[in-house]
Amino acid sequence: MSVLVYAENWDGLFKKQSFELVSYASAVAAMMNTKVTALSIGKVEKEELAKLGNWGADRIINAVNNELTVFDSQVYTGIIADIAGAEGSKVIIFSNNITGKALAPRLSVRLKAGIAAGVSKLPMSTDPFKVYKRTYSGNAFAHMVINSDVKILTLAQNSFDMTEKPTGAVPETIQVSIDGSIVRTTVTDRVRQTGKILLTDADIVVSGGRGMKSPDNWGPLTELASLLNAATACSRPVSDEGWRPHEEHTGQTGKMIAPNLYIAVGISGATQHLAGVSSSKYIVAINNDKDAPIFEAAQYGIVGDALKILPKLVDAVKELKK
Amino acid sequence: MKILVCISNVPDTTTKIKFADGNTSIDTTGIQWVINPWDELSLTRALELKDDQTNGVRSVTVAHVGPASSEPTIRKALAIGADDAIRINASASDAYYTAFQIAEVVRKEGFDMIICGIESSDFNGSAVGGMVAEFLGIPSVSSVSGIKFEGGSPLLTREIDGGRETVRVTSPFVAIVQKGIAKEPRIASMRGIMTARTKPVRVFEPVAADSLTTVAGFEKPSPRAACRFIDPDNPAQLIDLLQNEAKVL
Amino acid sequence: MTRQLIFTAVFIITLGVFSWTLSRLIKYFKFTRPAFPLRDFGKRFALTLKVAFGQTKIFRRPVIGFFHALVFWGFCIILFGSIEMVIDGLTGSERALHFMGLFYNFMIASGDVFAVLVSISILIFLSRRLFFHVRRFEGTEMKRKSHMDANTALSLILLLMISLIGMNAGYSGYAVRVGDEIHGVYPVGTFVAGLFPGASAENFRLVHDISWWTHILLIFIFANYLPYSKHFHVFMSVPNVFLSRLEPLGKLTNMENITREVRLMMNPETAFSAAPADTPPERFGIKDAEDATWKNYFDSLSCTECGRCTSVCPANITGKKLSPRKIMMDLRARMKEKGPLMIKYGRDFNDNRSLLRDFITEEELWACTTCNACAKECPVNINQPSLIVDMRRYLVLEEASAPGELKSVFNNIENNGAPWQYAAEDRLNWAKDLSFKVPVMSELAAEGKMPEYLFWVGCAGAFDDRYKKVVKAFATILEKLNISYAVLGSEETCTGDPARRAGNEMLFQMQALQVIETLRAYGINKIITACPHCFNIFKNEYPDLGGSFEVVNYLQLIQKYLAEGRLKLSAKALKNAKITFHDPCYLGRANDIYAEPREIVKSLTGNYVEMRRHKSFALCCGAGGAQMFKEAEKGNKEIFIERTEEALSTDAQFVATACPFCMTMITDGLKYKNREDEIKNFDIAELVVQAME
Repeated sequence: MSVLVYAENWDGLFKKQSFELVSYASAVAAMMNTKVTALSIGKVEKEELAKLGNWGADRIINAVNNELTVFDSQVYTGIIADIAGAEGSKVIIFSNNITGKALAPRLSVRLKAGIAAGVSKLPMSTDPFKVYKRTYSGNAFAHMVINSDVKILTLAQNSFDMTEKPTGAVPETIQVSIDGSIVRTTVTDRVRQTGKILLTDADIVVSGGRGMKSPDNWGPLTELASLLNAATACSRPVSDEGWRPHEEHTGQTGKMIAPNLYIAVGISGATQHLAGVSSSKYIVAINNDKDAPIFEAAQYGIVGDALKILPKLVDAVKELKK
Repeated sequence: MKILVCISNVPDTTTKIKFADGNTSIDTTGIQWVINPWDELSLTRALELKDDQTNGVRSVTVAHVGPASSEPTIRKALAIGADDAIRINASASDAYYTAFQIAEVVRKEGFDMIICGIESSDFNGSAVGGMVAEFLGIPSVSSVSGIKFEGGSPLLTREIDGGRETVRVTSPFVAIVQKGIAKEPRIASMRGIMTARTKPVRVFEPVAADSLTTVAGFEKPSPRAACRFIDPDNPAQLIDLLQNEAKVL
Repeated sequence: MTRQLIFTAVFIITLGVFSWTLSRLIKYFKFTRPAFPLRDFGKRFALTLKVAFGQTKIFRRPVIGFFHALVFWGFCIILFGSIEMVIDGLTGSERALHFMGLFYNFMIASGDVFAVLVSISILIFLSRRLFFHVRRFEGTEMKRKSHMDANTALSLILLLMISLIGMNAGYSGYAVRVGDEIHGVYPVGTFVAGLFPGASAENFRLVHDISWWTHILLIFIFANYLPYSKHFHVFMSVPNVFLSRLEPLGKLTNMENITREVRLMMNPETAFSAAPADTPPERFGIKDAEDATWKNYFDSLSCTECGRCTSVCPANITGKKLSPRKIMMDLRARMKEKGPLMIKYGRDFNDNRSLLRDFITEEELWACTTCNACAKECPVNINQPSLIVDMRRYLVLEEASAPGELKSVFNNIENNGAPWQYAAEDRLNWAKDLSFKVPVMSELAAEGKMPEYLFWVGCAGAFDDRYKKVVKAFATILEKLNISYAVLGSEETCTGDPARRAGNEMLFQMQALQVIETLRAYGINKIITACPHCFNIFKNEYPDLGGSFEVVNYLQLIQKYLAEGRLKLSAKALKNAKITFHDPCYLGRANDIYAEPREIVKSLTGNYVEMRRHKSFALCCGAGGAQMFKEAEKGNKEIFIERTEEALSTDAQFVATACPFCMTMITDGLKYKNREDEIKNFDIAELVVQAME
């Protein structure tokens, strides 16, 4: 009996969300009086694997096979199912990200395990296994009971307060075989954005809207972002006008993000924009118009001229860093 | 090539969700039911693929697991352009059960491409598509943002962190698609509306299957605290609050 | 005798050619669809007198319009002389109608004078075309052929006038020398004859005869040239005015075939049954020339390519592809192309071309704001918007094609009853923090009470953050004036205006029938609206679907109470600020309501100023015709910026508006120009509340 957590790696490296997931799994395992096995597929160096041990992983397994060059959901499901079986895992935890959404359903059928997707808290109880599950696009929480023997959870990003729990676990690398009967998907092309902090990974995002008046005014905003180690984003009109690159557009028709802190500068808060950022832990709004709808979604707000306030914020952060 | 689009019937997104029966179920009075927005986009893309004769798409069928009250939504899908519909006459109790029914339909009818929206706006389960593929033992590609044909076979665009991949997959397969699969949902033309009345909707009885989860109750999310305003002449106070109160810096 | 024979032969040939042309045109007309039954002949006569004979539309450009009026009146007067010439030609007489005495003299003398006046006008027109760059004569639709056509026709008319003067000079010069009795009075002719004292009677006779034949032959040639020229309007303009649609410009025609479908859909018994066998597979909307109505085609034949419509089109002014003139020219050209093919092979013939896309592109159709400036401006009462909307109807109803944002609007209206995604439950949020209770229809009905008015709030009033303030202001006024009213609250749903303007007739009618049912259930008779679009639709379009109500625009109500002294406004409250008013298209041109807002604003300040383009000339804010909900088509400027700049040029402190869309546009415009701190955009209701005593 154990809790299996799928710790995704990207080209051999973990991200914060991987550690958040392990921490969560560790807490769930504690509720069930059992241990956590962290599984990562695809070659990861030992020092990197060991980091999982800091967040509560009692066992760390790295499944490798030279033919694992692309993500094929059938292949990965097979690998995870085998290891889950070997570990006797009763709860399997994924992140509710692209990979999690691809794997959890297949695994559910493979192991006849019920899924609760998009949980953001620890289970309400473990017997019956009841979890809070996000429904109606955030307008309600369901108390979902998973009745099957094995249970699968996918955790919403950035919803759990991770705590360090060093276990000193020693990572194991195992060779896995790939089921030959699977007809594989092939990847013919890959395009990747490099360099900047990925908007979807960033803890803090500083975002600018039409209230910035002109693309020439972005200086203090990017400076603030860089001081806070934040990613930059923008509203739709700004991206349409070409003031900022398309990748920065957050909103219903752009990127949906959920950082710890979202600072909206000169953004009025139209519904479509808010739909992209409403899952942020904290929203700060700076806008000239006290009636701007963004203030209804924000926890902190300043009514004033963004162009005057940004430089002062930059100074305040510089002070803080001293 | 025969395409199957799975659709679910959800409350319109502006609906104010209220509970009934001691918070164990959703109050359905006055709810306007619509096709799940993701499924609407899936259907649109399927029809676009069919419109291009060179793709060789023979038909687009919609499948739905639900009671007779879902019929107007199914008719809307037909009005938008689906050729025919299959309704499995059962309540969609959970994703596993629903996927089992759909897999059975695919086995009976034989489809080459099955398209599912990555989530439904009511349950946000993100499960049915992948489950159908696993039941049938066929490939599935998730987070698909583009489907097209190249040289007669399907080519999918899949989102990955910070980028996208072009994926080739063999039929039959399940494509689990996200918003962006089609630019905007198709609307029904007058001919579509008029012919939707008479297009075939076959009703199948469900096969025996398990549900693995149940919903014991609902609760409202805790309301967000009202905005705290900081003096514009003292923005440094914001940084202080973010660091010491919110603890996000 | 020979003269008679030759003349009769020429005359018969002319009539023959003309009849042939006419019969072909009639065949083309037979392919078109019905428009409306002809009624109200009294009104039509009055309209024709005003617009055609009075040239009132032409005078909207007063200076150049005056010269055109001279040409038109000249033609009318000279027609008398031309008829006489035909009689003379056929019977061999000379000046056969002179027996009419004084009346004859008057007509002939006028004709004589007008020959000069018309010549002067024509010379002015030719100079403008040849030597000056007049913007409205240019455009993608104005090819070399159009310019040549114009110059040819003008030249022909000039020759006609010169030959007329020649005739009259010749006649009077000859008669004087020979001592004949002069029939008719020739002030100009005599003067011109007097310039050649040395010329003989024979010279004058020759001049007369040559001029006479030139004149009448030119008339015959001109008459047969006209149907192929833009100058066909010489024949078509007066009838076109007579056949104008008489309803307010804001009204769009109802599609009966859609009404049939909607009723079938709304009846649960027939909702899923097959269509009745007798429904004809007719096309919805206009795709090609034969789908147009006879009136559309008549319009296109009457179009003289003057370009006044295009010159006032807000889309065209700001560089979009749309040109109302081009729309009409394209219909005419397409029928000219397809007509002969349909005569030969039948109406269903498909030549793989169409009015839509091969002539008129979707980009042009989607750029229209339905402001009706073009229809208002056209001197012969052509209605361009109806053709544009009918083509949009084809795109949406037949092809399910529309700009993406409009598809979302359609879905929103269908799913949650408003163009944006908001819940019906929230429609009364604006009333929450008022100091008084806003009466709600359902609550009053439960108590067995019935208010005098229904105050229709509209979707903007319920959901647009800025317009909620306007609705609050107006409710405050209603409360202050103690008017008996109630609102529908969550029972309101979209009137369907954006759907209809965008061509989605189906969705519009579904909404309309739903609204009418709700209103009927409460027994409502009187409606007050704060939005001109809702006002227009209730007043002009709902009656076609069985919903007849007495509809009052909020400005009419305020003005009435003001005039009766029941509403008192302090003239000092706004400190005599300079205020300008932006006419909403759907109140102004669509419904001819210009006076009430001005009376109200003028009692709020002594410093009222008009924008250059105001009243029926007002420039659209750019939001109508569903433009509010979509990205603007490609152009070189935004319409709302153009209008805002015009408002700014008045140096007004307040820009007053009376429509939620105009308010969004003007406010955005002020922000864009970075003037929103000094210059405020207020609705008239808000200004009234500020000044209420």
